[in-house]
Amino acid sequence: MTAPETTEVLLPRQRVPQSAPRPSGLVELARGAWPESDADTDPPALAGFVVSSFSPLVAEVARRCLTRVYGQPPAAPARGPRTAVIISTTTGDVATALSVARAVDTGQRLGPLLFFQAVPNAVAGYVAARWELGGPVLCLSPAGPGDAVALALAEGLSAARLLLADGDADEALVIVAEQAVDDGERDRALAVLVRTEVNEGAGS
Amino acid sequence: MADLPGRGDRQPVVLTGLSVLSAYGRGADALLAGLAAGRPAFAPVTRFDVANRRVGVGALLPGAPVLFDELLNTVDEACAGAGLDPAARATAPLLLAVHGDPTGSRVSSPDVTGHRTGAFTAALADKAGLAPGARTYTSACVAASSAVADAAALVANGMAERVVAAAGYLVDPDQFALFDAGRALAADGAVRPFSAGRKGLLLGDGVAAVVVESAEAAARRGASVLARLVGWGRAGDGYHVVQPRPDGAGLARAIGAALDRAGLSPADIGYVNAHGSGSAQSDVAEAAALALALGEHAATVPVSSTKSLHGQALEASPLLELVATVLSLRHGALPVNAGYLGADPDCPLNVITEGPLERSPSYALSLNAAFGGANTALLVGAV
Repeated sequence: MTAPETTEVLLPRQRVPQSAPRPSGLVELARGAWPESDADTDPPALAGFVVSSFSPLVAEVARRCLTRVYGQPPAAPARGPRTAVIISTTTGDVATALSVARAVDTGQRLGPLLFFQAVPNAVAGYVAARWELGGPVLCLSPAGPGDAVALALAEGLSAARLLLADGDADEALVIVAEQAVDDGERDRALAVLVRTEVNEGAGS
Repeated sequence: MADLPGRGDRQPVVLTGLSVLSAYGRGADALLAGLAAGRPAFAPVTRFDVANRRVGVGALLPGAPVLFDELLNTVDEACAGAGLDPAARATAPLLLAVHGDPTGSRVSSPDVTGHRTGAFTAALADKAGLAPGARTYTSACVAASSAVADAAALVANGMAERVVAAAGYLVDPDQFALFDAGRALAADGAVRPFSAGRKGLLLGDGVAAVVVESAEAAARRGASVLARLVGWGRAGDGYHVVQPRPDGAGLARAIGAALDRAGLSPADIGYVNAHGSGSAQSDVAEAAALALALGEHAATVPVSSTKSLHGQALEASPLLELVATVLSLRHGALPVNAGYLGADPDCPLNVITEGPLERSPSYALSLNAAFGGANTALLVGAV
């Protein structure tokens, strides 16, 4: 558990403007972000998910990241089954939670789709199914000062490092999604595919 | 499948403290009595208005318990039971499984940040005198088992001497409305895992905490060991947004990883505390997973889902069930799978249907599955 820090990139990836830290002890294989340009106004709609941008954001940055590795789904058969999906978010799906609370407080009926999307696992399952990723599914919600995307990414990478070191996956797709909560803010999201750095000089 | 880290490199992991709250009451003795009686804790919900719901039944404590307070009490009790002094607590990180701050969706805008899920966890860790750097798990019905698996991984790999894993869910109007809208709740007011005629799940209160510790550290300070955590595994289905993979392959891989870490074979498993949600597809998938992972032993090993007694406690359920499993091993009585009406040929398991089964196996599996195809297996060894 004392892997040296690295910023090595083994596979081609597209650099995107992000203030988030790079993985340490992990090799970054690809990343995708939201927004990546001024054209990114609303993430593409995701069938079966309503009311909130949270799940569409997760699916879109995962698509961008994994497309840069695999071109199109699914992931390579030798890698996908051992790739974990980790969603890390400080806000969580605020829009869905508020929508449910409002409906309950005003006696409105809830649509069944809200049931499915009320936990982040659902869109993690969408990503895993779409790209045939069979590693563990993990969802985290950190708190702390500083930039929310950077904080959530650091938490996701920390969990990925433990998960990969412990052996239940070889790679992890760490997805961060932060919904805008104040006027003037924009939704932000990021997906990073990582694996543990292999120290070939260690002789083990 | 890549090799797991060598078993010889791992520190043995033990549980030295536990505490639990369920609809049966506060404390391990209350849960133990509920399991021994084998009577489901379901009753009409009075905590909030359910007049507009299809189903109005759950397994709830009386009154209006407050999640933060109950978690704090439960963590305190687990730490006290483990004999942790303030200095030992202060070095133990908290891994908490929770849906969120129960008030988080109803606070005014300026207060939102302080009511986010991570802030709830950090406040709990601080109040409980635990180490800074708590982690919050929100992976639905495998959140707590993911926390326990991470706690075990930290301890086994020498990254922490001890970790407090805790989880809490108290039945609330929002989740109740969502599950009702999704037609997931059992309209006949009973949870009947693996049974013919099962209608779905029912929600239940659950708050639990365990102290996960290296065997060496526990021995060094003379702590009593309640159980050994000999294996853990997680795997995804990669199949569907919310439906389980019908062939159970994902859960089977999680079970296989747990057996591998423990260095055990299927025949060593003497009890399975199943996920057993009581829903049609999930139970069939779990039976398939057990057949895949355990082979012929799947048809004979005693199986029960204690959700049939204490209900589904969502993010917290795996820890409630782990505690139930530990108590079962320690007291030599495997809990009944209540509500059983008759065999489902698609669930060919040895379900415990006639009351608690007096038996003291050496090893038990506690299984969980969740939306998104998330699967976990925890493997407990008796002491």
